[in-house]
Amino acid sequence: MEQLTNLVVSEGELANIARVLGRLALDTSASYTILLDKSGQLIASQGQQGQRDLTALGALMAGAFSSSRQVAEILGEHDFRSILQQGVQENILSNLIGEQWLLVVVFDQQTHVGLVKVLARKSGEELERVLDRVRHGASEARQQVVNVQFRSDAASAIDSLFQD
Amino acid sequence: MALINVAKREIQCKIVYYGTGFCGKTTNLQYIHSHAPRPARGDLLSIATESERTLFFDFLPLDLGQVHGFRVRFALYTVPGQVLYERTRVAVLNGVDGIVFVADSSPEKLEENFQNLLELEMNMRRMGRDLGSFPFIMQWNKRDLPGAVPIPTLDRYLNRRRAPAFAASALTGEGVFPTLRAICKAVMGSL
Repeated sequence: MEQLTNLVVSEGELANIARVLGRLALDTSASYTILLDKSGQLIASQGQQGQRDLTALGALMAGAFSSSRQVAEILGEHDFRSILQQGVQENILSNLIGEQWLLVVVFDQQTHVGLVKVLARKSGEELERVLDRVRHGASEARQQVVNVQFRSDAASAIDSLFQD
Repeated sequence: MALINVAKREIQCKIVYYGTGFCGKTTNLQYIHSHAPRPARGDLLSIATESERTLFFDFLPLDLGQVHGFRVRFALYTVPGQVLYERTRVAVLNGVDGIVFVADSSPEKLEENFQNLLELEMNMRRMGRDLGSFPFIMQWNKRDLPGAVPIPTLDRYLNRRRAPAFAASALTGEGVFPTLRAICKAVMGSL
């Protein structure tokens, strides 16, 4: 599948994402909910994540999902969109949204897994509509942020920071 | 795929260090981790086997700071180099914005470098990407080895696309930051 070059999330759409994640966390009593890009980058999170390193968690969750997809492909399963990881204290459900994002729900043993699956699927449908809008507006929004001066200043920052 | 988060005023990009087993990808990240200024570097995360070979990936987040009011972040990854981990390499390439191909300069590794590069080209094609029009940097690593293949030879056999190339010895750090600067700028240029 062809990958997108850039994805630009506006303030309005981030608010929509936060609303969907917040409601899902509340309705399922999940510890927290996260939306990742499938490259492992964190888009938004809601709930009580405490001091956890979400940057590392995002990289690992996306890696685990991609890896499981490769396993599924070897096994001849071509529409693999969900993983449930069950722990002693906490469980993690990861659902693919429109081939681009991952919705991750972290929940404890007080929450019924069936409820999380159903409500995560419904939230996924809403997030897929957000993703469609974000895709269509990406080019115009990108031009507003990234211009020649931005690239030049970024190059200067790279030169000054990354030295021996 | 670079993620531009206007609301959080953040730009995130993913860079992958690719190459054969023991070519020095993890050593590149370790050097960057130990020498980049502290506010810029995050924790280095490694998923390795007991023999310290990369099993899944290494991950190092770097923070460039504010540019025009946007916080620019790079996520550096390595892939496991051993032949049997091809599917894992495909998984790590997901959503990549820029690639550093780390070539081992040992004469006995030339063929393996070549095969690994072909595999990378094929994996990128499967994702609808052409390395020729993608942020892509070559690194000739292990230049300190006696009997290292001359750079013009490496260039002729491994760099058909004439990508920018840097001589390096990741163990001592030579060439590590020039490579990093080049790929970061190439990624910024392609946003």
